[in-house]
This record gives sequence, C-alpha cells and structure tokens, in this order.
Amino acid sequence: MLDEPNDTELEEELRRVVTQVDSVPAVLVEAAVGAFTWRTVDADLAELVFDSLVDHDRAALVRGTQQGRMLSFQASNLTIELELTGTGASRRLIGQLMPPQRGSVDIRHARNVITVEADELGRFGADVQQAGPISIRFRPDPAIGQAPVVTDWVTI
Amino acid sequence: MEPDEVRSLVRAAAGGDGAAWKAIVERFSGLVWAIIRGYRLDAADAADVFQTTWLRLAEHLDRIANPERVGAWLATTARRESLRIARASSRTVSADEAAMAGAGYIDHHSPEQAVLDAEQAMLDSERARQLWRAFGALSARCQQLLRVLMATPPPSYAEVAAALDMPVGSIGPSRARCLDSLRQMLTDNVSAPL
Repeated sequence: MLDEPNDTELEEELRRVVTQVDSVPAVLVEAAVGAFTWRTVDADLAELVFDSLVDHDRAALVRGTQQGRMLSFQASNLTIELELTGTGASRRLIGQLMPPQRGSVDIRHARNVITVEADELGRFGADVQQAGPISIRFRPDPAIGQAPVVTDWVTI
Repeated sequence: MEPDEVRSLVRAAAGGDGAAWKAIVERFSGLVWAIIRGYRLDAADAADVFQTTWLRLAEHLDRIANPERVGAWLATTARRESLRIARASSRTVSADEAAMAGAGYIDHHSPEQAVLDAEQAMLDSERARQLWRAFGALSARCQQLLRVLMATPPPSYAEVAAALDMPVGSIGPSRARCLDSLRQMLTDNVSAPL
C-alpha cells in the first residue's frame, strides 16, 4: 500500500490519542480471561440461527403477534426458542424446547446460574432483570441418555 | 503473531490450556474493543458485548474451521454483536429515562455525548482535543475503520475486512479517504470557534 507521508504522520498522532482515551479497560481483559472457565466440553452447541433484532424478513412475519425479542438456537437434535419481554425490573425470559421434553435448564446470566425445570411441553421461564451475556444449558432427563446442549452466548 | 502460532494457541486452548487462552485474549482484545467502540455503545453495553464475544469464542474453540483465522472470527462476532446491541439500545432505558427523552430533557446527556465528554477530559493538549473532536465529526463508517486500524497491536487486513464487513481491496482507499476527511476537519476547525 502506498502512503502519503502525511497520512502516516496523522495516523500516528491519531493512534496516540486513541490509545490515550480508549484502551481496553484492564478489568474487561481480566473478565475475558475468566470466560474460559464457563466453557462446557461435554455438550452439543446450539447455534444462534434467528434474532428478531437483526433478522428482519422473518421478524416481519411475526411482528403482528410478538412484541418481545425472539431468539432461536439450533443443535443437531434440539431447538431452543427464547422470548424476552418487558424491560428493566419486569423483564422476563420465556423458553420453549422443540421437540417438547422435560429436563433441567441452567440459565447462565450475570455471572450466575439459575436452574429451572422445563415442563412436559418443553416450556420454562425466569426473570432476567440485568443486562449482559446470557446462555442456556439444557440437561435432558437422564432416562433419555442424551448429551446436554448449550446455546451460543448473546447479549441481552 | 504468525498464523502458525495463532493456530497452535487455539488448538491448545481447545484442549484446556488456560495460558494459551490468556495469550489469545491478550493478542486480540485491542481489536475486539476497537470494533465495539466504533459503534459508540455506552460503557456498560460495550463491556457486555466484549464479554459476550469472548464467552462465545470459549464455546466455539474446538469448532472453528480455520483456527489461524481466529482474529477474523472474533472480529465478525464482535461486529455482529455490536450491531445487535446498537439496535437494542432501548434495552437499558428505564421508564424514567424514556419519559425524559420524550419530554426533550435528555438530548444533551445522550450516552454518545457523555462518552465524548469523558474522553475529551482525558486529553492533555489542545491539539489532541482538536484531533479527537475532528475524529468524532467523521462519518460513522470512517470512525469505525480508523478505530480498527488504530487497534493495538495492529490487525491484519483480513481482520480489518472482517471487522468492517468490506473487501480487503477497499481498505487502503477507504483509509486514505477517511484520513483526508480528518485532515479537512482539522483545517476547518482551527479557524472555527470551539
């Protein structure tokens, strides 16, 4: 790439300013190093395949019936649908497992884990008042003998 | 850091090596942060997106198709997640804030303005403040590109392309155009009362 000499000079000046005002906060780097401990090695990954915030085409189809944010995660044998409704202290997470089944659902959020049970229709719910990364880990009924499933992390 | 070295780190981390993970975080934190801040998210949102990006990589370590390109993978993830949250900015707005915004009270204290004010206060010379002000007046696209190019350590062009969702070939010309605009803003600002 050919540079104007002035470009390099201006860029160096800008680099100094950006470094001065906007380096990564050390506390965030520490937290990112700590993210490694949240890793689950024994689970299937359910990848984020739909988010009503960004996937407009499908969102348009459901807009008439849904007001919250809809998220869908897909693993090989399981789909996890989440709906977030309300804001702030009244915000609630409602989940649906497909195919419907019972099991334990670990809601990993705000540096905590809340465990709730999915009913026989595969439904579960919890209050999620804080903003931040969230991920669901589903542990099927041991009688079924299937591996746990974890979703991608998303920011809510 | 060479591609071979990056690939070995990703494979080691996927095998449970915490030191390798730490090395990856330290190598790419600057890039991830520059992308997120290019979306002018407030401090809390930026912190959340940053953490989400790393948590997501932790779960994907043994599933990444090209481990030597983990920087581009992180860049794409950080860009998409920033965009999501930029669109969901209402997620953290309380009822009070929403009411105030509706009544027109909040205009001068938008998160963007608060971020700019805080940043201005950190600079020690008039020239630096002028430069930062001029930078803030650039188009959003130019600010995003220049922030990513200024990341420490400097990213590869493949990582910049993933960060901005643009072809590698247009990075050089865009960079030159954005620096031109910045120079123009500085010239205009010198004579204007600030």
